[in-house]
Amino acid sequence: MNPLPMPIQRCSSFAAGLLLLLTSAAHAQPDASNLLKAADKFRMTAANLQVQTQINVSNADGTPDKERRYTVFAQAGRKSLVLMQSPAEKGQKVLMLGDDFWLLMPASQRPLRITPMQKLLGDASTGDIATLSWADDYAGQLVGEEPCDDAGQTAASCWHVSLHATAKGVTYRRIELWLGKTRHQPVRADLYVLSNKLAKKARFVTDQPATPTMVTEMVLTDQVSNHKTTRVRYLSRKERVVPPEWLNPMFLVRNPPLD
Amino acid sequence: MSYATRSRFPTRPKTHLLTWLLVSAASASLPTQVQAQDLPLSGHVRVQQDDQQPNTTLTTPVPTGYSTVQTELRAASHGASAVVTLQQRQQGTATQSRAWVNELYATHDGGAWQVSAGKRVVSWDVGYGFRPNDMVQQEQRLSLASSTLEGRPLLMAEHFSADAAWSLVWVNPTGAAQNSADREPAWAARVYQQHGALDWYGFARVGAHSGASMGAATTWVATDALAVHGSVRVLNHSATQVVLGGSWTAANQLGVLLEAWRDGTTQQGHHRLLRISWAFEGWSPRLDVLHTPADSGRVVTAALAWQGDRVNVQGALRAFGGPPGAAVMQSPVRRQATVALTWAF
Repeated sequence: MNPLPMPIQRCSSFAAGLLLLLTSAAHAQPDASNLLKAADKFRMTAANLQVQTQINVSNADGTPDKERRYTVFAQAGRKSLVLMQSPAEKGQKVLMLGDDFWLLMPASQRPLRITPMQKLLGDASTGDIATLSWADDYAGQLVGEEPCDDAGQTAASCWHVSLHATAKGVTYRRIELWLGKTRHQPVRADLYVLSNKLAKKARFVTDQPATPTMVTEMVLTDQVSNHKTTRVRYLSRKERVVPPEWLNPMFLVRNPPLD
Repeated sequence: MSYATRSRFPTRPKTHLLTWLLVSAASASLPTQVQAQDLPLSGHVRVQQDDQQPNTTLTTPVPTGYSTVQTELRAASHGASAVVTLQQRQQGTATQSRAWVNELYATHDGGAWQVSAGKRVVSWDVGYGFRPNDMVQQEQRLSLASSTLEGRPLLMAEHFSADAAWSLVWVNPTGAAQNSADREPAWAARVYQQHGALDWYGFARVGAHSGASMGAATTWVATDALAVHGSVRVLNHSATQVVLGGSWTAANQLGVLLEAWRDGTTQQGHHRLLRISWAFEGWSPRLDVLHTPADSGRVVTAALAWQGDRVNVQGALRAFGGPPGAAVMQSPVRRQATVALTWAF
């Protein structure tokens, strides 16, 4: 056997190393926590927000069921205040401080401590409306690359991230989330409650499908009981830091003007 | 507040309920006009039918049935707030019209500091069936149909931080010293501290007639499904009122509330309340059983409500039972039924 001259051997090893590096880079998988942080920015476009939200609930046959409007003050540190604006709920508020929740009724004049179970009430639970981020509440694990489409009918592929709750008061114990490969925008999600039952399927609509910058709509389909569809539309977002007393349940029962 | 003590408009016996309904509908159409002038106005119109079976062992006259049409108007602007109720009630051929102010007060908004004066609803304490530390409002609990409370005349100063608050209230400042406890002039104070899953409260009250009392209360979210609450009040170092309860909610929104209280100011003493409720697709059925072990009296209430976009329908049946000597059997009615339809605007 005629060995290659030394310079050629060195050149060949370098090329092989470079090829290995390039191949690894091509198949490098992103960090799940970075993916979640990137995905959060499509709903929580700033650390402190005021979001006008509208939900439209449709029955399984497509007929309209009800419409509700909310003002959500989503603040840093897992703090949210939801103001119900529709006539049927006018004056009601839900305050969420980390894992602690209060319901404030306009006629009651006293705050009601509510458990995480009570927070699930409704077709779109308060958690669906008030929670605009995952990174603070869940630990993510990258499952791999999968079709974005639920039925696998489109060629586009997404990152599949499995989220497990690290905070006790979250609405969903487990979330299977699919994110766009390039920009990491949320595409769809399967939402599981405490009993590990699939409760809802979510689909996210963005402002510009080709180059998304924010989520404009979240479509939730009930998988358990009534198979209703709830469209959560984010009508407007603006940066806003609310005064600390606005996040005090005793202040909120006074029905102060919160504009 | 009892119905009879409300301020009244002159009685108009010839007016028909339909006329009042039209007046209510007309007031409901006001919002768009008034909002254009930057005065937010909201409220509701309610049509209600009540029927009662009198307690025949008593001679107290009790109406067996009446219909009510009621409009509630709410407005707030530039630090002033008002809630007004217009009501027409028809009993047999007689019709009675009334109006009263539930709330009318001005607030100075100093951010963390709030000062208000006027007639205002201020409800305190943590219980459902009994609230010993409801030291300002002193509202009656477990009413058959929900209604907006009527406030008390007061001056109030409050301070709020992110997780604490205190309130100092001078209630009924112009009332006579010999008035009953809910009408006497009194000073009341409350402190509040939030600590994770715990809310802590401290209370104090000095009434011109009833004297001094102090209390404390807490609520604790123990698990994902269970919340516990308790409240105690000591009056004049002689009588004690205590309430302890818990509410549990299942994943299917079935709720169970258990509450027990001892009121050292009444003969019945101990009470127990069981509430089973459910929420599904806008429907909210509920069953309440109130039991007084000392005399085996009981009050059973079954209620059903439906909430739509703007319309709320609620119905309730209540029956008083127990041996003839039981305190609840001295009630002027034995059975009550109510159906109400409310349209919010």
